[in-house]
Amino acid sequence: MKEEVKVLLVDDEKLVLRSIEKSLLRAGFDVEPAGDVTMGLALFQETMASAAPFDIAVLDLNMPNFEGYEDPTAGLQLLRKLLEIQPGFPVIVLTAFDEVERAKDAVRSGARAYFVKGREADLIALVERIVKN
Amino acid sequence: MDKSVLAERRVALLHAGAQVSRNITSILDLDVLLRQTVDLICEAFDFYYAGVFLVDETGEWAVLRAGRGEAGAAMVAEGHKLRVGGLSMIGAATGRNKALIALDVGDEPVHFKNQYLPLTRSEMALPLAAGVGAEARVIGALTVQSEEEAAFSEDDITALQAMADQLAVAIQNARLYSENARLLEQATRRARLLMAAADVGKGVTSILDLDELLHKMVDIICGAYGFYYAGVFLLDATGTWAMLRAGRGEAGAAMVAEGHKLQVGGFSMIGAAIAERRARIALDVGEEAVFFKNPHLPMTRSEMALPLVVGAGPQAHVIGAVTVQSEQEAAFSDEDVSSLQAMADQLAVALHNAHLLRELETAHAELVRTKTFEAVAAATTEAIHWIGNKALPITVSVQRLHEDLADLSGVDAEVVESMREDLTLIEASAQLIVQVKEHLIGPAREYMPAPAMIEDVVKDTAQVMGIAPEVIHFTVAPDLPLGVADTTQLSRAFRYVLQNALEATEALDVPRIDVEVDLVDESGMRYVVTRIADNGPGATETDLNKIWVSFYTTRGAKHAGLGLPACLQILKQIDGKAVARKRPEGGMVFELYVPAHTGVTANGAANLPAGTRVLLVDDDDVWSRFVERTLTEAQNTVTRVVDAGDVDGGDAFDVIIVDDVLAAADSLTVLQQISRAGAAAKTLVVASSVRVERMMDLLRFGVRDVLPKPYTAAALAEKLGI
Repeated sequence: MKEEVKVLLVDDEKLVLRSIEKSLLRAGFDVEPAGDVTMGLALFQETMASAAPFDIAVLDLNMPNFEGYEDPTAGLQLLRKLLEIQPGFPVIVLTAFDEVERAKDAVRSGARAYFVKGREADLIALVERIVKN
Repeated sequence: MDKSVLAERRVALLHAGAQVSRNITSILDLDVLLRQTVDLICEAFDFYYAGVFLVDETGEWAVLRAGRGEAGAAMVAEGHKLRVGGLSMIGAATGRNKALIALDVGDEPVHFKNQYLPLTRSEMALPLAAGVGAEARVIGALTVQSEEEAAFSEDDITALQAMADQLAVAIQNARLYSENARLLEQATRRARLLMAAADVGKGVTSILDLDELLHKMVDIICGAYGFYYAGVFLLDATGTWAMLRAGRGEAGAAMVAEGHKLQVGGFSMIGAAIAERRARIALDVGEEAVFFKNPHLPMTRSEMALPLVVGAGPQAHVIGAVTVQSEQEAAFSDEDVSSLQAMADQLAVALHNAHLLRELETAHAELVRTKTFEAVAAATTEAIHWIGNKALPITVSVQRLHEDLADLSGVDAEVVESMREDLTLIEASAQLIVQVKEHLIGPAREYMPAPAMIEDVVKDTAQVMGIAPEVIHFTVAPDLPLGVADTTQLSRAFRYVLQNALEATEALDVPRIDVEVDLVDESGMRYVVTRIADNGPGATETDLNKIWVSFYTTRGAKHAGLGLPACLQILKQIDGKAVARKRPEGGMVFELYVPAHTGVTANGAANLPAGTRVLLVDDDDVWSRFVERTLTEAQNTVTRVVDAGDVDGGDAFDVIIVDDVLAAADSLTVLQQISRAGAAAKTLVVASSVRVERMMDLLRFGVRDVLPKPYTAAALAEKLGI
């Protein structure tokens, strides 16, 4: 296993993005932040071909989609593209919505977990657990 | 007769003839003219009786119109008439247009012996003929009678025939005048009715105010037809009463002011006209069985009630009726009835259109209101969501600062403590914002109402909250129907109220919460009501009045004051309600009303396959008994166990159902064991309230699905997929 776990973090909320990034950095992860799905996909494609690919991705669910329109499923669209590139890649879907059916949609789309924002300590534990497995 | 007497008589006859001529030109009333003529003849000729007969409309009878003295008056009163062409002298004179003279009536074969004139010995019948030659037409006859035989001289006959001819012309002229006057009146009336119809037509298209239109309508009717009262009744919302909406004059205003109404189908012409959907006409109201004697309209002698009908054929319906009343008997002609009904039909269409317009306006206003509300609610939710999300990083940032503070060395301890205090304040504020967001947005999430066992939901909620069994006590009415609710949302509502009860009783030595689940019937609506009572200090009247108001709290700054308003919102969302009151013995009672399920709840399991071996991990409660019974009835085998120790490898079962809320075990431990046994893929976890994080925890074990609990056989078949 690599010494440092590399995390792709995608969220259009700058404050949230930076806050989660800081929490993950403090926990010892190597974090690559992206402010939208297009940049996230580009980073993923670029990095996965490199010697230091991502180990996990944390994606916001509700943000502008690839066409630039606000879309509550933008994160799922990015998730599907990541899984097309690398099937089985571990992804956590991040959202402010505490909704069961959305969570199921995420899991059915291939996400390992669905996480409600606001409890970063739990998020770190979740990332560690998924990467470890 | 000597010459001087003869000369005197001739002078008298000339005077009489001249007087008749003067009367004919000066007396317009035909009856007066005829009476004066017979009197003049008798006085001038010294005859004891004279009378005038006129041929009636049928042409068959000569009817006495004027007769001399008491005998004449009596015969006129009894309608004395003689057949034209009959045996009487008048009959013969009118039948043949020929004067008949009987100088001794006993010798005259056509004489009709008259009981009123027994002394008649001579009689003369002179035809009253209008026109000359072939155009001549007999319109009546003049009879002159004497007590003497051979009483009529040639001069008498000549003079009387001259008078009769003048009289005939006068009668004909009077008749023509009368006919002309009638035709003129008819033409004038028709013109007035046409103008009235035009006014009504103009009114229904130009007057937008309904009351103004109705008042105009009654004024037009009374003005055009000369009736003394008209009114318009409209059906009320129940369709059982016709309410007076406009009435002519002071009587109408008084009746409208006192809310005058008549029952449909009741004892009134309006009630009958509406019920029978046809015009009711009473030409003499005293004879009309359904006439309703109205103290405001004591002079009414004729009344007409015309229904206001909208549509045609089977779609036709009555929306009210028009009443028209007259002080005269038989006041309504056929023309009146048809023209008034045409106006009523026009009015009905206008009223219906006005009604449709009002409905459209109301619907539009409701749509605007709903859309505005939705827009405001959406904007508010969006804003709150946005604010809440912005606050999320604060709590995390504060957490990191707390960690950093712990590492600070060489800094004044008081300064560090002050910074720590400030961080705590910031953190509390941020948490409050997040809490507000959750309370306000929570009820709107994934709202999916379905039939549910309310008892099961409230018991699960209490158990998840960890309320000790010695604190909470349940009483459940037998044979409760299902309630219709989104159980996750309802559980949230129960949680708010139970949390309130817990906080109200936390300082007590013996806290107690009583939960009663019961069925109530309110105005035909059945509710499954859950009463949650505590033995806390209760609330003041002020608190009680504001208890459902957002942001109102008596529990200090850490409470947002949104739990109970959110509870109310959840119940309103399912057409239920929430009530709070003080208990007489102290403490509070909250009543949460959930509409009872009114549909058919099939107990059979037609959609369930047979032969499935089911392991049910659950307590012995109302839901597990329902599942056991339903699946067993469908020829499945159900084995129920209560904790992880009872779960074996799972090979003996096709499906494993685990209730997430267990009294004797932790469902996560149960799932761990199932997972280890390799039976997770055939395991379904059910919960009355499903939350995302819990679901993720459960899914981690690889279970097939996590589902809201099904409470009907159909839902069991659909959700469990067995």
